[in-house]
Amino acid sequence: MMRSIALGTAAVAALTGTAYAQETIDVTLGVLNDRSGTYADLSGEGSVIAARMAVEDFNAEEKGLNVEILSADHQNKPDVGSNIARQWYEQEGVDAILDVPTSSVALAVADISNQMGGVLLNSGAGSTELTQGQCAPTTIHWTYDTAALAKGTGQAITEAGADKWYFLTADYAFGHSLEENTMNVVEEAGGEVVGSVRHPFPATDFSSFLLQAQASGADVIGLANAGGDTVNAIKQASEFGITQSGQSLAALLMFISDVHALSPETAQGLQLTEAFYWDQNDETREWSSRFEERHNAKPTMVHAGVYSAAMHYLRAVEAVGSTNNEEVVAHMKANSFDDPLFGEGYVRADGRVIHDMYLFEVKAPADSEGEWDLYEQKAVIAGEEAFLPMIDECDFSSEG
Amino acid sequence: MFELLGIPPQVLMGQLLLGLINGSFYAVLSLGLAVIFGLLNIINFSHGAQYMLGGFVAWMLLTYFGIGYWWALILAPLVVGATGLVLERLALSKLYHLDHLYGLLLTFGVALIIQGLFRNYYGISGQPYQIPEILSGGQNLGFMFLPNYRAWVVVASVIVCFGTWFMIEKTRLGAYLRAATENPVLVGAFGINVPRMIMLTYAFGVGLAGFAGVLAAPIYSVNPNMGADLIIVVFAVVVIGGMGSIMGAILTGYGLGVIEGLTRVFYPEGSAVVIFVIMAIVLMIKPEGLFGRGA
Amino acid sequence: MSDTATHSRKDATAGAPLLEVRGLEGWYGESHVLHGIDFDVREGEVVTLLGRNGAGKTSTLLAIMGILEKRKGTVLYGGTETIGMQPRHIARLGIALCPEERGIFASLNVEENLMLPPRIQEGGLSVERIYDLFPNLKERRRSQGTKLSGGEQQMLAIARILRTGARLLLLDEPTEGLAPVIVQQIGHTIKALKAEGFTIVLVEQNFRFAASVADRHHVVDQGRVVDMIPGEDLEANIDKLHAYLGV
Repeated sequence: MMRSIALGTAAVAALTGTAYAQETIDVTLGVLNDRSGTYADLSGEGSVIAARMAVEDFNAEEKGLNVEILSADHQNKPDVGSNIARQWYEQEGVDAILDVPTSSVALAVADISNQMGGVLLNSGAGSTELTQGQCAPTTIHWTYDTAALAKGTGQAITEAGADKWYFLTADYAFGHSLEENTMNVVEEAGGEVVGSVRHPFPATDFSSFLLQAQASGADVIGLANAGGDTVNAIKQASEFGITQSGQSLAALLMFISDVHALSPETAQGLQLTEAFYWDQNDETREWSSRFEERHNAKPTMVHAGVYSAAMHYLRAVEAVGSTNNEEVVAHMKANSFDDPLFGEGYVRADGRVIHDMYLFEVKAPADSEGEWDLYEQKAVIAGEEAFLPMIDECDFSSEG
Repeated sequence: MFELLGIPPQVLMGQLLLGLINGSFYAVLSLGLAVIFGLLNIINFSHGAQYMLGGFVAWMLLTYFGIGYWWALILAPLVVGATGLVLERLALSKLYHLDHLYGLLLTFGVALIIQGLFRNYYGISGQPYQIPEILSGGQNLGFMFLPNYRAWVVVASVIVCFGTWFMIEKTRLGAYLRAATENPVLVGAFGINVPRMIMLTYAFGVGLAGFAGVLAAPIYSVNPNMGADLIIVVFAVVVIGGMGSIMGAILTGYGLGVIEGLTRVFYPEGSAVVIFVIMAIVLMIKPEGLFGRGA
Repeated sequence: MSDTATHSRKDATAGAPLLEVRGLEGWYGESHVLHGIDFDVREGEVVTLLGRNGAGKTSTLLAIMGILEKRKGTVLYGGTETIGMQPRHIARLGIALCPEERGIFASLNVEENLMLPPRIQEGGLSVERIYDLFPNLKERRRSQGTKLSGGEQQMLAIARILRTGARLLLLDEPTEGLAPVIVQQIGHTIKALKAEGFTIVLVEQNFRFAASVADRHHVVDQGRVVDMIPGEDLEANIDKLHAYLGV
């Protein structure tokens, strides 16, 4: 014990004595996500790696930031997630929590972060509530939300002429929210919703629901679910000849990890909206290949979001010179970014990050040149259009 | 055209058939549990993990050795059965003189370990496994499009269930098994190697889980959690049918598949709980289960 | 009966007894129930273990069979030490048990019960011969084992160990709870089995029945064999025996 304190002092002395005149700032980031369940592949350890890459790429050490990264599994349970978040803030000195997929957990952690002087840099969750009904001054919602997905997929498909929709919806908050958002978009674009069915979460067998969807006579079956549920639904739709019989599928929330699991044979032609794809430009390719070396898979948009959010956060900490949550968030909101992964964008006063979204179509096996060569870009949805407008109650600019 | 509670008969027929397909998995899995419980008196909590293993072994055979579905259907249950053999010899057999609870805890722990390992190596999204060429496509039955593979699932499960029932109820080997279930000491005193029989029975029950896993591989994604969700339902099926009753496990499996299928049409939100509601009712009215021999 | 069986019997009669029990001790868990049982059984003999309830008669049979979990001492069968063996290996030497509770399996029908114990060596009775001895069983062979009357169940419990080729039969209170006419029938059966060349150890409380079938009687008390009375001397020792049995 004595020895480690002595060593620590020596190290600090060496550090401060040589290169840096300024004091180091200790920053502790907590990556809280699903490490074992449905969302473990799209977030999980990959997000921890992304956060670590951000710290390295930022050259945190040279800039006088001493960054430590913690990680934990919230098991997609709000109570588990809340407990970890509270303990992190109270006992581990965590300054910001990253990722937090599963909307119910994210909303709980957003509240705790606000109460306990932390910041939630959310990448994994989709609920628009994070920056609408249940917004908080210390929540920053980086990557996507259900409204943006609905906008991308719902509007593009309806305008392309397939205007009768049937929804297959996961029976929990996220599914309902995704369904509702998409219904609004479809109806605004002149489409019609002919029905919907709510399936238990999680579910393995979708044949029954798919047959109900088939009987509805809809042009498009919208899958308002996520992860393994979406994968199974798509797989079984192809098995039951639903796509062959002329109906098409729209995955309202799908990640590249899911498409990879399905393989292009099953997923081809599927349209979906994402905020990031590894093969968009040289910068995304460079970063993604570094990521793949460490994780054996291409990054999802959630991983990319964790990286960019951590970057932007660290820039703010460096500029402000402390981890005071109000000052850091104010700096993040005041300064727009030009990010290698998300391009140009900014954090809106309500915490919603505004950047472009993309509509992709899954390539046919013949056009795919590799395991991860999966998407063809169909459209760009400008950030201002993709996300919901800010509501007055969530405009925190006056306080900032 | 007449409708039943607003549901056209074609849709109803389709849903009944789908229920039967799901019931096929319930039947094969609950049968394995019942066989194991009958002789070992152990509630095999690793059954779901062993079902998952079956799917993964099939996938590995294909990916690493180029061995296709039909061989996997035979080999994977053997491999999974062999792991069961090892588990029984090294661990379960040490617990027979203790309360049943210990066996349950052990198998539960084993399930967590197996699932954790596979999650670690293969992630959660699942691995693709294609339907064998000969069973791709399907039949238009008028009221629904029945994929050939699903029809095969029903046929294969009926064959396996009936075969197992026949073996246990009608053969000499089955007579040993039934006798050992009642009085293992006396059966041993007749010169029969009861420990070996117990070991092989466990391997067989576990092999059935592996078989179901291979059947499931082409239609559900092969992922480390595929058994974890299913197994809870299957336990409910076994409880409803009556622990240790072979025919009970089979019939309840198919029956509950159909009931669940119907719930998906009439009240989809309830389809996840209907089996548990039935379980609660059965436990109140007939605690030993519908086909149970009594406690 | 085959030649080999006849042959081995001659060998055994010539030398040591078929079963030799020396200083046999046994425990149920912590409770010490056998304190040194000694007796011999020669090839072809019918001997009894008589004694009060709890004297250790049944425990002796279970100890010979290897079922009693903890035991020590010596049990030689045909010269082979069996004290450390598993029940299934002891059974394979040619010893068979007909337990006190009869052990008829409810989930097996009569014929399945009868055919259950595997053949361990040549020399067992054929199924036809067994059905000759127990015609009731043939009539009811498709019935569930436990649907038989008590007497029929007892017949079945004895019948099924005759098929296997076992030469030493351990019968635990075969007359318990049965009507006199059935007891008589079982008496005939035991004599028939003796005539067939089986060696039998009979545990009994009904000593009149025992007297009618056995060559020798061992009196068991508090986990020990305290006396041995040859069959022909039984009348002369009747008072002593009454004292032992507390009748």
